[in-house]
Amino acid sequence: MKRKYFTAIAAACVLVLLGSCSGSKDRLYLYNWIYYIPEDVIEDFQKESGIRVVVDSYASNEEMYNKLLAGGKGYDIVVPSGDYVSIMIAGGMLQRLDMGKIPNYANLDASALNRIRFDTGNRFSIPFMMGAAGVSVNKTKVSGYEHSWNIFERNDLNGRMTMLDDMREILGAALKYLGYSVNDSDPAHLEEARLVVEEWKPNLVKFDAESFARGFAGGEFWVVQGYAENVYIEYEPSRYSEIDFFFPKEGMPMYMDSFCILKDAENVEAAYKFINFMLRPDIAARVSDYLMLPSPNVPARALMTVTPNYQFEDLAKGEFKEDLGAQTLLLYNEVWRRIRVGN
Amino acid sequence: MRRGPGLAYASPSLLWLTFFFIAPLLIIVLYSFLTPGQRGGVDLPFTLNAYRAIANPSFGKVVVGTIAVALAATFFTLLIALPCGYYMARSSKQTLLLLLVIIPFWTNFLIRIYAWIAILGNEGFLNDLLRWLGLAEESVRFLYNRAAVTLVLVYTYLPYAILPLFSTIDKFDFSLLEAARDLGATKFMAIRKVLLPNIRAGIFTAFLFTFIPIFGAYAVPLLVGGTNSYMLGNLIADELTKSRNWPLASAISLVITLVTTIGVMLLLRFNGTHILEKKHEKA
Repeated sequence: MKRKYFTAIAAACVLVLLGSCSGSKDRLYLYNWIYYIPEDVIEDFQKESGIRVVVDSYASNEEMYNKLLAGGKGYDIVVPSGDYVSIMIAGGMLQRLDMGKIPNYANLDASALNRIRFDTGNRFSIPFMMGAAGVSVNKTKVSGYEHSWNIFERNDLNGRMTMLDDMREILGAALKYLGYSVNDSDPAHLEEARLVVEEWKPNLVKFDAESFARGFAGGEFWVVQGYAENVYIEYEPSRYSEIDFFFPKEGMPMYMDSFCILKDAENVEAAYKFINFMLRPDIAARVSDYLMLPSPNVPARALMTVTPNYQFEDLAKGEFKEDLGAQTLLLYNEVWRRIRVGN
Repeated sequence: MRRGPGLAYASPSLLWLTFFFIAPLLIIVLYSFLTPGQRGGVDLPFTLNAYRAIANPSFGKVVVGTIAVALAATFFTLLIALPCGYYMARSSKQTLLLLLVIIPFWTNFLIRIYAWIAILGNEGFLNDLLRWLGLAEESVRFLYNRAAVTLVLVYTYLPYAILPLFSTIDKFDFSLLEAARDLGATKFMAIRKVLLPNIRAGIFTAFLFTFIPIFGAYAVPLLVGGTNSYMLGNLIADELTKSRNWPLASAISLVITLVTTIGVMLLLRFNGTHILEKKHEKA
């Protein structure tokens, strides 16, 4: 009797598994940053196109890239940042795009597109959102500072400041502070940058990319380096005035996240439809409203209903992070390891 | 000679172990001898570069720091777990106490770490209390240092030490303690000379159950550690993801595996002979 039940259950399981496999024709497998596209936008796309979107999410470029590199298959679209776009192009992981299928590409801001070096001419990637990590200051606790990276030199704020646990962001900040490029490959410049960070480090509580925003909103940290969207989401709108979010005057590393179609994608037509849909002004505006970020999509800006955390023009002093290449990456790693481990 | 059904019964777990433990381990061994790929991954030729990189003194610093934190955390865990296990074994409410030890497992591990952040933070409960009592004006910084990492590790792995200790002490014949007292031993002597040697196996298991996972800790130092609480687990993760140096990450994990295996074997040799002998006597 018992065995019969078991067989029935096993059969049911197999049926369920088979059922979930069939009909992959009207599907799109999207591998995207976590909390990047609001649920209702995806639903609207499904309704309009009849294509089912299966979303899987990641929290860092590294996570996404290493999963794909280790043989992760089945995704159609990924959304890497610029440096990873060029790494993935060089690795032969991306498809060359047919621009005829993405007419809404024309909506993107040419001034932003012209600054792209990771995929000049956008042959493999379609820009989606751009932004940068900046500095957030709790105005109720800290005063008498200028909008500069030198705020991290203030030892009276010792134990109240954090910076991102991110090699490119930290070294990029230090390089910009010294007047160099965020992609500088000169060992002497990197050594100077290391000394700058060593000066900041004793004033920092920790290098943190996970929970700094919660600590900032809770009054634990007063000055944090990080993404504006992470910080504002922890606050009630009535308390927004307590936050001073700024990009240091020396400039900062900047990201551009772009849609790419993977070489082994199975649902290429659906992928084009989705990318074109996401570049439609009304949709781009909804995403920007949700993230409270300025849009690189020009007609979308007029349709936004939320005031973004910063203006598109503020990004002018930023510089896109590019892939460093294997040799320079080793150099950066060594410098970063010395900072993290101590000398 | 009839072989019996043993092998047939053991085969599922044998296959499982082969595929999901031995095969990945072999991949790690292989990767550690390869060259890092231009964009992550691994490439030929075979090289010892990853092992040469480990010889770098900055790694030694992380290893020493990790061992120090792991030893301290294990020591305090055992120190707390021993009396707990003893009390539980003697108590008439064993089931209730066992349940209390297990209850924290019902809550996600990360949430429990964040609970510690809420307690120990600059604006946390403990600092609020100190200020309310007038014991502190400025908030005291409890978090984001090695002590905080050790404390949260002790908290996290305490149940893993209490459970094996409890089960060993529970089997201990407490009349032996009375006999020791009758023969003139002080309470402390009776515990040291009669109880502790008899529960050595439990202490040994508790040590392994706490030291090994703590040695590879990743999330705790990441969340409650400061700028100087970098541990081996964090180093491996960074080498694998941020530095895109898979051979180095493999080599470090392999060295950890080797060191822990050798450590366990040595401990078994010196400490465990006693346990093994006892089994033989019974047989």
